[in-house]
Amino acid sequence: MALSGAVARPPRHDRLPIALVTLAVAAPLLLFILYPLAFILGRSFVTETGLGFANYARMLGNERFLGILANSFAVTLVSTVLAVVLAYLFAYAIQRTAIPWKGFFRLVAIVPLFAPSLVQAQGLVLLFGRNGLINRTFDAGIEIYGYWGIVIAMVLYVFPYAFLILSAALAVADARIYESAEMLGAGGARVFRTVTLPATRYGLAAAIFVCFTLVITDFGNPMVIGADYGVLATEVYNQVIGQANFERGTVIGMILLVPAAIAAFGEKYISARQFAVVGEQSRPLAIQPSPGRDAVFTAVVVAIALAILAIVAIVVFASFVDLWPYRMNLSLRHYAFDVQNGIEPLWNSILIGLMAAAIGVVAITASSYMVEKLKSAASRPLYFVSILPAAVPGMVLGLGYILAFNNPANPVYLIYGTLLIIAICNVYHYHAQAFLISSTSLKQISPTFDEASATLGGSRFDTFRKVTLPLLAPTLVGIAVFFFMRSMVTLSAVIFLITPSTQVAAVSVLLLEDRGATNQAAAFSVCIMAVVVAALLLTHMALRLAGFRNVSLIR
Amino acid sequence: MTLAIRGVVKRFGALTALDAVDLDIEQGELVCFLGPSGCGKTTLLRVIAGLETADAGAVLLDGADLIATPARLRNFGVVFQSYSLFPNRDAGENIAYGLECRRWAKDRIRARVAEMLQLIGLADHAGKLPSQLSGGQQQRVALARALAVDPALLLLDEPLSALDAKVREGLRFEIRALQQRLGITTIMVTHDQEEALTMADRIVVMRAGRIEQVGTAAELYDHPETRFVAEFVGRINVLPVAPDGGVCGRLMALPEGRLAGRRPALVGIRPEAVRVHAPEAAPAGALGAQLEQAIFLGNLTQLVLRVEGAPEGDPPLLAELHGLRPDGFAPGAPFAVELPPAALRVLEWR
Repeated sequence: MALSGAVARPPRHDRLPIALVTLAVAAPLLLFILYPLAFILGRSFVTETGLGFANYARMLGNERFLGILANSFAVTLVSTVLAVVLAYLFAYAIQRTAIPWKGFFRLVAIVPLFAPSLVQAQGLVLLFGRNGLINRTFDAGIEIYGYWGIVIAMVLYVFPYAFLILSAALAVADARIYESAEMLGAGGARVFRTVTLPATRYGLAAAIFVCFTLVITDFGNPMVIGADYGVLATEVYNQVIGQANFERGTVIGMILLVPAAIAAFGEKYISARQFAVVGEQSRPLAIQPSPGRDAVFTAVVVAIALAILAIVAIVVFASFVDLWPYRMNLSLRHYAFDVQNGIEPLWNSILIGLMAAAIGVVAITASSYMVEKLKSAASRPLYFVSILPAAVPGMVLGLGYILAFNNPANPVYLIYGTLLIIAICNVYHYHAQAFLISSTSLKQISPTFDEASATLGGSRFDTFRKVTLPLLAPTLVGIAVFFFMRSMVTLSAVIFLITPSTQVAAVSVLLLEDRGATNQAAAFSVCIMAVVVAALLLTHMALRLAGFRNVSLIR
Repeated sequence: MTLAIRGVVKRFGALTALDAVDLDIEQGELVCFLGPSGCGKTTLLRVIAGLETADAGAVLLDGADLIATPARLRNFGVVFQSYSLFPNRDAGENIAYGLECRRWAKDRIRARVAEMLQLIGLADHAGKLPSQLSGGQQQRVALARALAVDPALLLLDEPLSALDAKVREGLRFEIRALQQRLGITTIMVTHDQEEALTMADRIVVMRAGRIEQVGTAAELYDHPETRFVAEFVGRINVLPVAPDGGVCGRLMALPEGRLAGRRPALVGIRPEAVRVHAPEAAPAGALGAQLEQAIFLGNLTQLVLRVEGAPEGDPPLLAELHGLRPDGFAPGAPFAVELPPAALRVLEWR
C-alpha cells in the first residue's frame, strides 16, 4: 500500500548504530568537500587590513580581469551552443534516422572521453598550428591560436557529454503521438517543432548546463591553444602557479564558482522536473528509411566523426614521428620517455586511478546507502554535500586542498604531497556524478527486500551484505571504472596537488606541450588513451563473463 | 500462539490509518483481514509484523507486549504481495536466508531447505533464480522461506493478488492445507471476498481504520451488522425503514433494538431470500411488484422488481431464483413478492 513508504523516525534500538554510521559517512564528506571550500572562501576575504571584500572589489575594478571575465563568457556561450547543436544533430541521426553503422558512430562520439581533457587543443595545434600539418603542407597561413582555437577545442571536448544526454532524451518516444501528429496533417518540420523538440527540452536544458560548466571550468585546452587569450580558469592557474598569488587565485576561483554553481544547480533543477514521456501503453517509434533525410544526416555524422577522429589520429601520428615537424619519418623513440621523470607519471596516474576507484566505490556506497536506505534527519544535508561537488570547479577544489591541508597542524598533512591525496581529491571532485548513479540504482532496489530480510531475522548488516550489495555490485563496477577513467584524464583539480615526485600523466602532457616537446606530449596522450580503453575493455569482458550485460561503463 | 491487539492507533500525517483497533486471534486459526484498499488492513498487518510502529496501543503475543521488539526479532513469517524474493539468490538460498540469519550450521540449513522445497513441491527447482520461476512458484518459495524458520505467526499480505486466476485458486487450497497441517496461527490480508470466504476460519472486515465486524464466513453472510459488511460480503437489498416502521410501504415486524429505544433505520435482505410468486398464486399479505428487468445468468436468474407502493426513491428489489428460465418475462410483467421477517437484517439503527 502507498502509505507504507512513509517511514517515520527509526525505532529506538536502531538510533545509536545509525548515528555512528552517519558520523562515519559524514566525516569524510565534510573533511574533503566542505572544509576545503570553507577554507578557500574564507581566504578570499583575507586582506592586508583584515577581513573584507577588498579583494573582490579590487578584482572587479581591474580592467584586465574584466576582459578575462568577458573572454570566459564569450568562449563558454559560443562553445556551449555549438556543441549542443552538433550533439543534437548527431544524437538525432543515431536515434531517429536510418543512417548506417550506428554502433560505430556512437562509439566515435564518446572517444574524447578516453583522452586527457586537453587532447583536443593538442590535436588542433598539430593540425592547424604554426608547425601544424596543414600550414606546413599547404602554407595556408591559418591562425588557430586564440579565441577560435579555444572554441573549437571546447566544442570537441564537451561534445560527448552533450551527446550522451541528448541521445538518452531522444531514445524514448511514443509512436502514437507521432502517428497522431501525422494524421492531423503535420509536416516533418512541424512534427519536429511541436513533438520532438518539446519532448527533449529537458535533455536539451541539461546538456546546455553541463556543457556550460565543463567549458567555463576547463583550463587545459585554453592553456595549450589560447595564446594570449586569457580565460578565468587559466587566470587562476597563472596567479597561483605563475605568480604564487593565492589571494588573487582564490578570489578568481570564487568568481568562477558562481556561474558553475548556477549551471550545476540549474541542471539538478531541470532533471528533477523531468517527467516520463513514455507510459506503459507507449509503443516505441519504428524508424522508416527516408533516403533524402538519411543522406543529409549521414553527411553530418561523418563530418563530425571525422573531426573527432582526426584529432585522435594526428596525436597518435605525432607520437610516432621522429621530430615534429622537421623529421617526419616514423620512430618509436618517444615511447622511451627519456624526459624528466620518464614513464613514472603514467604509473602514478594508473596508481591514482586504482586508488580512486577503490576509495570511490567505498565512499559512494556509504554515502548513497546512507541517503537512500538509512533515512534519517541527516539524509538531506548529506545528499546536499554529496552532490555539491558538481557545482565546484576542479581548480577551486584543488586550490581548497592546498589551502586547507598544506598545513602541518592538519592531520591530513600526513598524506599531503602523496598520490593518496590526489586520489582522494579525484574521488570528491567527481563525487556527485558517481553518487547519483549509485543512488539511482539503490532506488530501484525495492524496500520490500529490506522488509523481507527484517522479518526473516536479518539485521541491517545482513541485508546490506547478502542482498543490497550483491544487487548493487554491477553498478559499483561501473563507478570504479568511472573514477579510474576520470583520474587518468583529469587536469583541473590535480594541477595544484602534484609535486615533482607525484607528477601525473595528464599534467605531463600539458607541461611537455608547454615546453614544445610535442612528440613526447603526444606519446603520453596516446598512453593515457590506451590505458583507459584497455581498462574499459577488460571490465567489459569481466562483466560479460560474470553474466552482467546491461551495465553502462561510460558516463 | 495467541495474538491480542489492544487499542492500536497508527497515523500517517493527518490520516488515521488505524483507529483504536482491538482483536484477538486464537492458536492455529487462519484469520483474514478483509476490506477495500485504504481500510487499514495492510497497516494493521505491518504493525503486527513490526514493519510499522504503532502510535498507541499494544500487540501481545501470548500476553507479552511486542511493541518494543523489532521485526527481525519477532520470529514471524511474512509473505509479501510482490513475493520479494531476493533476486540475487536462487530458490534454495532464499529459503536458507532466515536460517543463515539465525546462524544455523550449514548441514542443518541444507536439510531444512530440502525439507521445505519438498513441502512446496519444488524439490527440482532449488537452483533456479526467482526470475526463472513462474509467479506461482515464486510465491510458493516465498511461503517456504517464511515457514522455514518455524515462525510463531504467519503473516500473508495479499499473497495471491499478483497471480493469474487459475494459479490463484490452486494456491488458495495449497496454502490453507499447509496452514492446517502445520497448525500455524495465520493472518492473511486480502481485498478479495471470495478468497476470504474460502480460506479463513474467521474474517475481520475493516473499513476506514476500524474493525467493522468479526465472524466466520457464514456469520458475516447471515448476520451482517452493518450495511458495509452486508454489501462487502455477497449482494444484498438495502431497504430504508420509514419513521413509522414501514418497509416498501408496508408495516412489518422488525427486530427489537439492541439498545432500548433504538429502532431500525435500514434493513437488508439477501436476493435469494426474497420469495417471488406468480400474481395468481400470491399468498395472503404478499406485495405486488412489476418486473423491470430479468437477467439470465445460467444456473440462476436475477429479477429486478419495482414494489408497488414503495416510497419514491427506494431502490428496486433484486431477487435471485435458481433453475428458473426467464423466457417470456417482459418488462412490466406483474409478480408478487414476500420479504420473510426472519430473513430481514437490521443494518443501521436510529
